[in-house]
Amino acid sequence: MRYGMVIDLKKCIGCHGCQIFCKTENATPPGMLWSRVFLFEFGSYPTVEKRPLPVLCMHCGVPECVNVCPTGASVKRPDGIVTVDRDKCTGCLNCLMACPYGARNLFLENVEYFPGQGLTPYEKLGYQRHTLGVVGKCDFCLHRIGKGLEPACVKNCMAKARYFGDLDDPDSEVSQLILTRVAFQASPTVRPGVAKKPEMDPSVYYLAIKRGDNAIE
Amino acid sequence: MNTSRGHGKAVKEDVWIKTTCNMCFNMCAIRVHRVDGVVMNIEGNPECPTSQGGLCPKGAAGIMLLYDPNRVNVPLKRTNPEKGIGVDPKWVEISWDEALDTITERLRKIRAEDPRKMLSIRSVTLMDYSRLTQSFAAAFGTPNTLPSGAGMHCGNGMHLFAGMMRCAWARQPDPNYLNYYLNFGGPAGYGAAYAVTGMTKKMAEARLRGMKHVAIEPWMGMPGMNCDEWIPIRPGTDAAVLLSMVNLLLNEYGIYDGESIKHYTNGPYLVGADGHYMRDKETQKPMMWDLVDGKAKPYDDTTIKDVAIEGNYSINGAKVSPAFALIKEHVKKYTPEMASQISTIPPGTIRRLAKEFGEAARIGSTIVIEGKEIPFRPVAVGCFRSAGAHRHSALTNMAIDVLQEIVGANNVAGGCLGPNSRCLGHPETGQPSYGPSEGPDGLLKVGAWAVAHTPWPVHDAKKPEMIGMNDLVPTGGISPLFIWGITEREKYKIPYKIECIMHAGSNYMMTLFDPKVLEKAFKEGIFTVSFSIYLDESTEFSDIVLPDACYLERLDLLADWETSNSPVDEWAMHIRQPVVEPMFQRRPAQKVHLELAERLGMLGDLYRQMNVRYNFREPYMLDPSKKYTWEEIVDRRLKGNFGRERGLDWFKENGLIRWPKKVEEVYWRPFIKGRIPIYFEHFKTVGEQIDKIKEEHGIPGFDTSDFQPVPDWKPCVSHEDRRPDYDLYGVYYRVPVHTFTSTYNNPWLNEAAEMEPNIYRIAMNTETAKRKGIKSGDWVVVESAGTGHKVEGRAALTEAIHPEVLAYASGGGHWSKHLPIASQREKGISPAWLIPLSWDYIDTVSLNLDLCVKVKVTKKSLREDEK
Repeated sequence: MRYGMVIDLKKCIGCHGCQIFCKTENATPPGMLWSRVFLFEFGSYPTVEKRPLPVLCMHCGVPECVNVCPTGASVKRPDGIVTVDRDKCTGCLNCLMACPYGARNLFLENVEYFPGQGLTPYEKLGYQRHTLGVVGKCDFCLHRIGKGLEPACVKNCMAKARYFGDLDDPDSEVSQLILTRVAFQASPTVRPGVAKKPEMDPSVYYLAIKRGDNAIE
Repeated sequence: MNTSRGHGKAVKEDVWIKTTCNMCFNMCAIRVHRVDGVVMNIEGNPECPTSQGGLCPKGAAGIMLLYDPNRVNVPLKRTNPEKGIGVDPKWVEISWDEALDTITERLRKIRAEDPRKMLSIRSVTLMDYSRLTQSFAAAFGTPNTLPSGAGMHCGNGMHLFAGMMRCAWARQPDPNYLNYYLNFGGPAGYGAAYAVTGMTKKMAEARLRGMKHVAIEPWMGMPGMNCDEWIPIRPGTDAAVLLSMVNLLLNEYGIYDGESIKHYTNGPYLVGADGHYMRDKETQKPMMWDLVDGKAKPYDDTTIKDVAIEGNYSINGAKVSPAFALIKEHVKKYTPEMASQISTIPPGTIRRLAKEFGEAARIGSTIVIEGKEIPFRPVAVGCFRSAGAHRHSALTNMAIDVLQEIVGANNVAGGCLGPNSRCLGHPETGQPSYGPSEGPDGLLKVGAWAVAHTPWPVHDAKKPEMIGMNDLVPTGGISPLFIWGITEREKYKIPYKIECIMHAGSNYMMTLFDPKVLEKAFKEGIFTVSFSIYLDESTEFSDIVLPDACYLERLDLLADWETSNSPVDEWAMHIRQPVVEPMFQRRPAQKVHLELAERLGMLGDLYRQMNVRYNFREPYMLDPSKKYTWEEIVDRRLKGNFGRERGLDWFKENGLIRWPKKVEEVYWRPFIKGRIPIYFEHFKTVGEQIDKIKEEHGIPGFDTSDFQPVPDWKPCVSHEDRRPDYDLYGVYYRVPVHTFTSTYNNPWLNEAAEMEPNIYRIAMNTETAKRKGIKSGDWVVVESAGTGHKVEGRAALTEAIHPEVLAYASGGGHWSKHLPIASQREKGISPAWLIPLSWDYIDTVSLNLDLCVKVKVTKKSLREDEK
């Protein structure tokens, strides 16, 4: 079993929905985004393209963040999901620095979304889930998977551009999409024209809009 | 154990409530998570066939609207009599009783003197308020209503033509079968327009299916980001390109649907030398030339064998031609070279697009859907605001629809659908029920329409008595002229003055045009009551502000409307029910309106209006002699439409009702007798009527040159302003993370907008910026040739924009200190400052505004304190 995600860039319209569904699901404080959408521009007028790229923790097959964790708080589970045990995390930030995708954040303080105006009822209740001084990250909505639900970003995407499932199962939807479409894993640095499979082996695959699109890496 | 979830405390309540979003007017079905009385999550409702469980970023961010500490929570009264932009009203808290007493007294006085003195300003987002306040206004006795900037900015031209061509409010490409989408800046499927969540999914699937999307825009907006071909265009020149394509198809490629024109349009109607139909002397009906019998007959004559759409004929010595022949001749001057000169799109590209469009239309083909044979024309032209938001909006929309209709692509499989022209109702009740039907001159009229006056049959022009002077312009939509109806009423012969504004939702000071012009109109003599979520740029002019409930706190009578439903597949009608009771002293505006109506002794009249506008059915219609609670009213409307068992309780439990659409509803064209115009003969008539009334009463303005039956491209003011300093066309665009100006104080949406390079900045072409010595991030001053005002913002340089264009998001530039996030310095600009209210910037036919302005852009030299 290896949980993974597929994001179809031909369907995605770059609306930032996934960014906010993740936020409401996980009550992340200001500035902490476990799901983000970048916008890249290629070419020169009039032959120009703008492409959104939704990113999240890649739950890498070879997670550097786990390697550098001194306390064993960061673990890669047997099902592939990379998590942080908040009881063991000391907030040393080795993992933050090691992650090439910027997927990890530190819960530093309970920051108000309306600065100087107090915490909203949502924040008061939501922030109780977090422990200050430890690292937080996308965990593929583990709490939802446990109930047989898909991650929030997958479930709510209005373009239905995101898929979730078992990469180890060749008949799963995610595996079939990777097989039948032009799929690539995102490299940590965007360098057009360089098509190289990232060594950390992300569990998130992107479906290209057209051939030659893996140049988005 | 891992990071998140579980605060370690036992929860007493953990429920999901089915309701409907209202962060924009799309009305997507949602389910909302309430834990111990706190709203903790919002998701799309997967049971809804329109949205199919999807949701947009705004929908999820509703939690931050509910709990925004800047919301109005108590009734407020102004104590500073002076009104102006930036002038502190000096609000004091009052009780609801005092507020309602004051408002009632004022309204009673006005109603007794002249109810037309009341102007109702509503929000197009709050669609339920829209119908309710229009009902209230009608019962009160005033014709003066408007939905802020909606219509005059985005859709007057489009709605007029949608009503005539598709008997619907708008346009939607058929996502199930469309193959070729020629899109002039329309957002269908790209995060805006109607049925957004579902259309985003369906157009995404269409792309996978192989649909080709050609996006023609001055700046690469959402459509251009995921298309097959992005074609930059000079703003406001689309009609030239469209007409060139019509010319090529008709006169060079010979690709057009003669059969469809003969049977479904007024193309065969005979037109005389004066441009009007040659009507049958006896019946006054338009006539067609029967080619077999060699004579003219009324259009509905049952002996007609085959009709002409080309050629010249003679009736009693008078020369006549079929309307189609006139169009064919008229467009000859629109060569690709001419269109290229005007638009900057290369002539070869225009030729190629015309050929592709014509061939993709598969003229003559049919498709069998659910056992019924339907014409199959898998092409559509996209547009919403965009190409239509210019001086000659009606003529541009006319060009779009002539292009679509000469290949027979309206109202058939694969083509351009109106959402939703026809509904045969729920299988068990047959409600709601509406649809196109044959009207005068054999032309189709709409079944359901969002505002009072339908596009066909068109009313006679009258001397204006409405503040917006729509009665003088029967083809007009939402009128920007209401400001002159206030400030220049003597000049326009309006026999009364506005003394009261009932304002429910919308931030009109930022969503119309030059705020200084608005300030002049609103600064004195008008008692304004606002039902508001925030203290914003408009409540600055209010006398009383009432704390409104947001959608998560409300039970609404209408949680969807004809246009919010998907154009295909299934119907879905929802409930909007409160997830939490209104917090603090907030009250839903509907309940307050009902209370005011009762106090004014007009509750019965209000019920009568609501019965019609909300489709109440027997035996559940509102009895004007009774009094109902709001809950009873909602219950009755639902039961009247969906049966005795499906009232409020059923909908609270189930959230929505759904049933499959029939082929005859979605692709109704072959099933309903009637024609649509490609020659707009009645425009001539209306223009002549307006001229006569103008002359008779000495009314200025209202240039009628665009009241012509065939389309043309004509320049905007900006095209003719060749001053070298004002060298850029300023245009605004929509973004999926914001709704108009209303969401700029939402911190989650703000965070998303900040991730993008352009949303809070002013976008310009890299080369153009270099020429002006402007670098990315520089503060620039933008001065409008239309208003003379200046706004400031930071420059974002991009290749994805026409070199002559300056582009900015529509809702930025807040100045209300009560919106601390929205009013921060770097949150974009307000396009309203750049758009004038001037006859030169108004399309007389549709009353659409011209939204392109020439601007002067210079790098700002910063003061020390600004660096």
